[in-house]
Amino acid sequence: MSWIILANAKKRKARVAMTVGGIAIGVATLFALLSLSAGIENALDREISGMGAHILLLPEGCPYELTLSLMQGSDAFEHIPAELLPDIRAVANVDLAVPVVVGKAKVNGQLNSLYGTTQEILQVRQWEVDVLEGAVIGSDVAEKLGLAVGDSVTISLYNSVELEITHVLEPTYGRDDTFVFVALDVAQQVLGLTDRLSAVLIRTEIVTESTRTQYTLGRMSDVQAVPPSDIFERLMELFASIRQTLILITGIAIVAGVMTTMNTMTMAVFERKKEIGILRALGSTKLNVFRLFVTESLLLSLIGGFVGLIAGYVATLFLPKTSGFGLEATPQFSPIYVVICLVVAVIVGVASSLYPAMSAARTQPIKTLREL
Amino acid sequence: MKIDLVNVSKAYGQGDAQFWALKDATVSATAGDFISIVGPSGSGKSTMLHIFGCLDKPTAGEVRVDDRPITSLSDRQMSRIRRDHIGFVFQQYFLNASMTALQNVLLPMQLAGVKEGRTKAAAALETVGLGSKLRSYPAQLSGGEQQRVAIARALANAPSIVLADEPTGSLDTKTGQNVLDMLMALNGEKNLGVVIVTHDETVAEKAKTMIHVLDGRIS
Repeated sequence: MSWIILANAKKRKARVAMTVGGIAIGVATLFALLSLSAGIENALDREISGMGAHILLLPEGCPYELTLSLMQGSDAFEHIPAELLPDIRAVANVDLAVPVVVGKAKVNGQLNSLYGTTQEILQVRQWEVDVLEGAVIGSDVAEKLGLAVGDSVTISLYNSVELEITHVLEPTYGRDDTFVFVALDVAQQVLGLTDRLSAVLIRTEIVTESTRTQYTLGRMSDVQAVPPSDIFERLMELFASIRQTLILITGIAIVAGVMTTMNTMTMAVFERKKEIGILRALGSTKLNVFRLFVTESLLLSLIGGFVGLIAGYVATLFLPKTSGFGLEATPQFSPIYVVICLVVAVIVGVASSLYPAMSAARTQPIKTLREL
Repeated sequence: MKIDLVNVSKAYGQGDAQFWALKDATVSATAGDFISIVGPSGSGKSTMLHIFGCLDKPTAGEVRVDDRPITSLSDRQMSRIRRDHIGFVFQQYFLNASMTALQNVLLPMQLAGVKEGRTKAAAALETVGLGSKLRSYPAQLSGGEQQRVAIARALANAPSIVLADEPTGSLDTKTGQNVLDMLMALNGEKNLGVVIVTHDETVAEKAKTMIHVLDGRIS
């Protein structure tokens, strides 16, 4: 049967190309959406768990917005008074309290995220750095600004400092790659945030008692204590609702694709009445004709599906890396997405061909031959 | 195989618009017969051929294939009779333009699930003198060659009877004569039943049996 379909397809190249193209666009969108969603989910998980904190102490305000600002390295304009730090450290079960201040500053004239913190950061991050001194820069910053260990950088915003680069971090494939890490007081001075903190990363001694510690910390004035896992879950819920909307829109586009393909196939049945009439005269049963049209549609849909997968894959490679909550998200490809996309293509193929195929099967050979 | 039309009538349309294309026709065809159905345009000869070929069912009367009435047969059974026992040749050839000569002949074989179809299709084209045009598309063939491909296609599944509707109607006299000679040769040498519909008396006279149709009646 395949050569019959191929012979017919050769005669209608433009129509075949349009059908395949329509399905390919739908599948490419779906594949890109699934891959990018997984990439963003993965990036969120990586960034939040990468903080290395059991509890995140944030200024008052929307915790999700503040967390995102912290991850993106931009000043949220809400701060924790630095004077609270001794009280925070005095709370029972607090093993480590790492103060952090973030904001955008000019690094050798280029705007970059500045991350001010204390030596304690080395206990929560998996870096191969013994002492935080001078400027420790992420691998992306080093590449972007052409910097190496021993070089000096000028960091400025409200105030200016000149520091020597003491370490270039190994790539983490997270936001750390894009930060310039300096001592807390240096960052506060540059960003004009003296005595203010963006967040405090808390490590507890007994993790199972973190909830109680979180409650105690949360009762302090001007701060809120949230576990990163809660933030992650809420952000994922938010992202899931965005993703659902996008999938719904893609679904509508795919349904529109089904209707268009159905219309194309129905038109094809009218155009091919002569061919169908002859097939019936030569001994094709109604079922043969039905199967011919469904198989043809299925084949075109599968080709469209494969083309769409390739197009979707290529598209994700060219899309901006920073997307979804401003995080650097690398698309995640999975065989299950390939299967989902191909199943969708098959469903599109079958759904769009049923009516035209039935219409073709009902063609009366004698009526067709009489009209020719 | 034997096909009998017994008191067959066929009407088209309904109510005031109804007209009888065929009235009380009784005729038989079997392997070895060479029948010509002759009459002017609109006389009902093509209708008779279509009923002979199980492409259409009569409004009244009975059609029997090997003494079995076809009225009760399903679409599948009617299709199988057409596929395995009847070959069709049409005035406009009705070849699939996107298929080569070989593929056009292969098509009914594919429907019948014939093994080694390509070899047999090539042999059928060889029989009609087109062994060198296997890969030619209909547009690359002359009218006579296209009709010979159509004959090869009609012979593809070794039918008992070939039904030809004005097979020489679109051809010049010489090419038409060649096609007719071919059908006569197949009738004589292979005992193939041939039923030809024509309005051309000279073509009709070549047949062993001539049936005149006028206003739907055999005269």
